[in-house]
Amino acid sequence: MTRSVWKGPFVDAYVLKKAEASRESGRNEVIKIWSRRSTILPQFVGLTFGVYNGHKHIPVNVSEDMIGQKFGEYSPTRTYYGHAADKKAKRK
Amino acid sequence: MSEERICVGVLGGAFGVAGEVRLKSFTAEPEAIADYGPFETEDASRSFDMQIVRPVKQGFAVRLSGVRSKEDADALKGTQLFVPRARLPQLPDDEFYHADLIGLAVMDTGGAPLGTVRAVLNHGAADLLEITRPGSAQTALLPFTQTIVPTVDLTAGKIVVEPPEGLFD
Repeated sequence: MTRSVWKGPFVDAYVLKKAEASRESGRNEVIKIWSRRSTILPQFVGLTFGVYNGHKHIPVNVSEDMIGQKFGEYSPTRTYYGHAADKKAKRK
Repeated sequence: MSEERICVGVLGGAFGVAGEVRLKSFTAEPEAIADYGPFETEDASRSFDMQIVRPVKQGFAVRLSGVRSKEDADALKGTQLFVPRARLPQLPDDEFYHADLIGLAVMDTGGAPLGTVRAVLNHGAADLLEITRPGSAQTALLPFTQTIVPTVDLTAGKIVVEPPEGLFD
């Protein structure tokens, strides 16, 4: 069931507070959060969050196409390495 | 770098009774494995040309040169297929093969060693470099971005990073 529009997106209050403090300070830092359920808001774009996966904080660089998703989607709780083969990484 | 070989797939034994072999591809586009042939075994004692016959569950049914019977195919079960690194196509700037990044030394801007690249991960956001710290089993994850990883020097075998505060805590 979808969330009612009138409620707006859910974000834990401490995440908003930490993001705002980081943006005001202008420092290059990882914002450690435990709230996987919080929605990614437009004002988070450009910040780096360390999203807890039950083991460690996974760095998540927020970009525009991630708005509306939940932080937990970018911090998997299980890791599968696989083979490198011809896989490529792009420096953004 | 040209001497290096890369594992691109593994054989899974016979598929049917006509000498076809089950193949599991490790390439980013699974069917692209056929473009990299011919393939060698790990000890380079055998070489195969490959033709993909059809997709099957978790891989492909393929025909390999010199494999004519089910018994031949079954004997290859678990064989890894390798190709020379030089056979992979050139990439544009700021794009790198995982195989090239893995094993590079990681330094900070002052030249102090921070570890080595263990793996390259992608969980949907930016690519992440998993870095093994020197003298420790612990790893740290570093977003693979221009600001955090300004220099990648494949010839020198090192990358220079400017990690954000709190990343190596």
